Amino acid sequence: MRIGTRAVRWGVPVAAVAVVAGIAAAGPVIAAAQGEPSLPRRTAAELLADAAERWQSGRLPQMSGTIVETASLGLPALPAAGGATSPLGLLSGSHQAKVWYGGPDRLRLMVPDEMSESDLVVNGDQVWWWDSAANTATRIKGAPDGAGRPDAVPYAGTVTPRQAAEEALRAAGADTEIAVGEDASVAGRAAYQVVLTPKNAGSLVKEVRLAIDGETLVPLRVQLYAKGTAEPAFEVGFDSVTFTPPAPENFAFTPPPGAKVEESTAPPIARVPHGKDGEVGLDGHDGAAPRVVGDGWDRVVVVSVPKRFEGDVAGAADRAKGGRDGDGVASLANGMLNAATPVSGEWGSGRLIRTKLVTALLTDDGRLLAGAVTPEVLYAAAAAK
Amino acid sequence: MSGATKAGPSGAAAPPHPADHETAYGPGVGAERATAGDAGHAIVTAGLTKRFRGGHVAVDDLHLAVPRGSVFGFLGPNGSGKTTTIRMLLGLVTPTSGRCSVLGEPMPDGVSRALPRVGALVEGPAFYPYMSGEANLRRLDAADPLSDPRTAARRIGEALDRVGLGNAAGKRYRAYSLGMRHRLAIAATLLGPRELLVLDEPTNGLDPQGTREVRALIKEVAADGTTVFVSSHLLSEVEQMCTHVGVMRAGRLVAQGPIAELRAGVAASVRVETPEAGAAAAVLVGLGLTAVSYADGVATAELGDTPPERICAALVGDGVAVRGFAVVRPSLEDVYVRLTGEGFDVES
Amino acid sequence: MSSHETFAHAAPLRAAGPARAAARLLASETALTFRRPRHLAMLAVLAVVPVLIGVAVRIAGADGDAGPIIARVAGNGLVLAFASLSAMLPLILPLAVSVVAGDAVAGEASQGTLRYLLTAPAGRGRLLALKYANVLVFCLAACALVAVSALVAGLALFPTGPVTLLSGTTVPYVEGLLRAGLAVLYAAAGMAALGALALAFSTLTENPVGAIAASVVLVVVSQVLAVIPQLSALRPFLLTSWWNAFDGVLRAPMDTGRMGTGLLVFAGYAVVSGAFAWARFTSRDVTS
Repeated sequence: MRIGTRAVRWGVPVAAVAVVAGIAAAGPVIAAAQGEPSLPRRTAAELLADAAERWQSGRLPQMSGTIVETASLGLPALPAAGGATSPLGLLSGSHQAKVWYGGPDRLRLMVPDEMSESDLVVNGDQVWWWDSAANTATRIKGAPDGAGRPDAVPYAGTVTPRQAAEEALRAAGADTEIAVGEDASVAGRAAYQVVLTPKNAGSLVKEVRLAIDGETLVPLRVQLYAKGTAEPAFEVGFDSVTFTPPAPENFAFTPPPGAKVEESTAPPIARVPHGKDGEVGLDGHDGAAPRVVGDGWDRVVVVSVPKRFEGDVAGAADRAKGGRDGDGVASLANGMLNAATPVSGEWGSGRLIRTKLVTALLTDDGRLLAGAVTPEVLYAAAAAK
Repeated sequence: MSGATKAGPSGAAAPPHPADHETAYGPGVGAERATAGDAGHAIVTAGLTKRFRGGHVAVDDLHLAVPRGSVFGFLGPNGSGKTTTIRMLLGLVTPTSGRCSVLGEPMPDGVSRALPRVGALVEGPAFYPYMSGEANLRRLDAADPLSDPRTAARRIGEALDRVGLGNAAGKRYRAYSLGMRHRLAIAATLLGPRELLVLDEPTNGLDPQGTREVRALIKEVAADGTTVFVSSHLLSEVEQMCTHVGVMRAGRLVAQGPIAELRAGVAASVRVETPEAGAAAAVLVGLGLTAVSYADGVATAELGDTPPERICAALVGDGVAVRGFAVVRPSLEDVYVRLTGEGFDVES
Repeated sequence: MSSHETFAHAAPLRAAGPARAAARLLASETALTFRRPRHLAMLAVLAVVPVLIGVAVRIAGADGDAGPIIARVAGNGLVLAFASLSAMLPLILPLAVSVVAGDAVAGEASQGTLRYLLTAPAGRGRLLALKYANVLVFCLAACALVAVSALVAGLALFPTGPVTLLSGTTVPYVEGLLRAGLAVLYAAAGMAALGALALAFSTLTENPVGAIAASVVLVVVSQVLAVIPQLSALRPFLLTSWWNAFDGVLRAPMDTGRMGTGLLVFAGYAVVSGAFAWARFTSRDVTS
């Protein structure tokens, strides 16, 4: 009798654990329960054409939401890879940003960090970059891509689903199979899934899944799967989204009193190498001019490694604590060097780092080659010089 | 004191009968009453057992019946299970098996109904050292959901005065002497009108003066009709103030009942001093006495129902030269030794 | 018999109502907490640290590696409240809360006063609930004390006026005060979740130092776990990860989503810890 009462008593915390665990898991569970929405069938071509038309026409609906980016590239640990606003910080873990979209010329993108945040505010012809940690407001003059496409303003910290979708479509060519997959539920909305599968054997990418909102055709999520894995190696998508006009004060930015105000033609943080042919400048850093060789899925980025962090691992690590761009690269290289295996071949010799999605080769003659490709493709690229 | 015993409604319900103390006082008494929540008893337990983790059985199949209005001495050497029993009665420890009820409420489920009417001192005083005696009592009074805050100050003052701490009420507990700490703990049991006081070793560590005061206080409280359940390992203490007694030994209750009956339960013996011990013994055997033994100049036997004067006459009639004749009534200590085979610490 | 008559007389006087009686015991608990010399010393430290931060910023200036939010203190005294909460939420405030909540039951048990409270009878579930209510009061008082001390020091040391939020928006001073109040409430909720955990530890032992140490060790370990990159998946489930989300009140619009999730996490910890503490405390043998 008493034993029974005691068992009932201990049932209460057990039940509490179950309920709390249930609520914690409820998000994914609900998403899974809604996982089989059915939208009218459309072919991949129809879908992409419609979507492209909508995106280019600028008739995207006003919206706001939270974007979550998750990368599990299988990189070695990057202890000094910087915060959320550092490009290298995006290569591991999960990051969040908020976006408010009020039309082609009204956009706010916010990346929160602990007790600080960075904002990109576009309002008509005014483009502000606000960095609360540095207490600096930067007015950016002249969008590099030309007018009318404010969200293409290079912003290193975050990639919007739309940018990522365009990027994937651009990469797709004759070497890509495009199909419409099962409908998905993203941020509680029914979405089409366009699946891009590389035909190329040299690519480490199994497929790219692009989720497009069934109603508005806004890209909601991009997932990148590496070969031989069930979980996406890289994912960026909306965690929550509402298609209502955002409050106007989101687009009104005035530099607060006491803040440093600067002017620039580019945001102070370097651009991530974009998928353009030829060379892309890594602003403000001499000696490291990335080149892109090859095309489609086989593209390889080649960087000349500055002498300063070759053979000076400890020094590079020290500098890496600064946490910003160039030193972040140093830190990345540094972390990779520890996990590298020596390789050699007709192309020369060097050290090779393999991850789920990316392979990198640091040649002994001071070049860093990287791509979502098998080592053989890198060797070929290295041989080509 | 016997008046107090009769004052309670226990007279009719008290089960023990002196005829055969092994069964009347031993386990079994009150077993059925525990479930009935007998109004005649302040405390009833049936088959109460506590086995601690690790297997140690502190209390084993305890059948206790404490009549209302009695001053019940709960006697036993240290470690015999008294404190564990008291903790079960107060709902601090859950019995492994068996039942107990206090003031008609089953424990530990009836704690909130029974304990407001019970004052308890368990294993010595324990208070907040950085608070005054008065503040300590105020906190305990606040913990009782049924106590009336409007009368708290008056009741606390009265309780402190009653134990003679009126002048030390504002002093920090840290500065109290051992005797004052004990008195404060007793004051805490007197914060409200109580039907039952449970006092675990209330005089432990007190000087003779303090012991006397506590004893007087207990008698005073009992005279108001409050049942007092007091545990002790000191025989003299129990003998002086209790009307009833229960004896524990190694977790078992070996006897219980009114003190007088318990004493009577052990047969008085007769002792004959004579130069002719053998002849005297023969006479005693002839009279049907049991446990007859004789040694150099002394013959003894259990008295039984035989009137002493008859023995005397028989001895004289048979021409035995009697130098001394005595009927020896057992002390409670003798009773205890008989029951447990253990001596008492006469000094603490 | 006279005792029964007395009792029958007294009974109506003794009916004070359960809510009143609970309030009385809670008042007794808070008096115990806030009069205890050890706790007063701790509260004094909580009040002094923001002043020290303020003085340090005043003397050393706003530059250096002080961290982004501390750098803003020099511009507006009100920011000192947020900076102080941010600086003290990882360890100092949790330490104070652990001391009070970890001691709540174990301290009474080790002192022996628990058996007298329970025979009063305080009622086990009731006593535990009121102990937790007292922990809540302490959490709120501790966080509010930090903020108030910081506000006063900020007024004395730095200019005041409209406050610049993290998003670059400027709001009036009064709205800044309201936001500071919200930050205090949020921080107190975070501390209350830890308090529930420490209270659960407190029911497990008769050694208050053990319960306090367990709670503090948990705080430190979960903060260490949070910075290990390989364990980043754990981060959302750690209590400590959500304490600093009070910075949501400093954004425009206010980041209610993240703070709401934080409050849910706190509630989850509190419910599980509370249920565990209840099951343990109502079934345990009190042998001290």
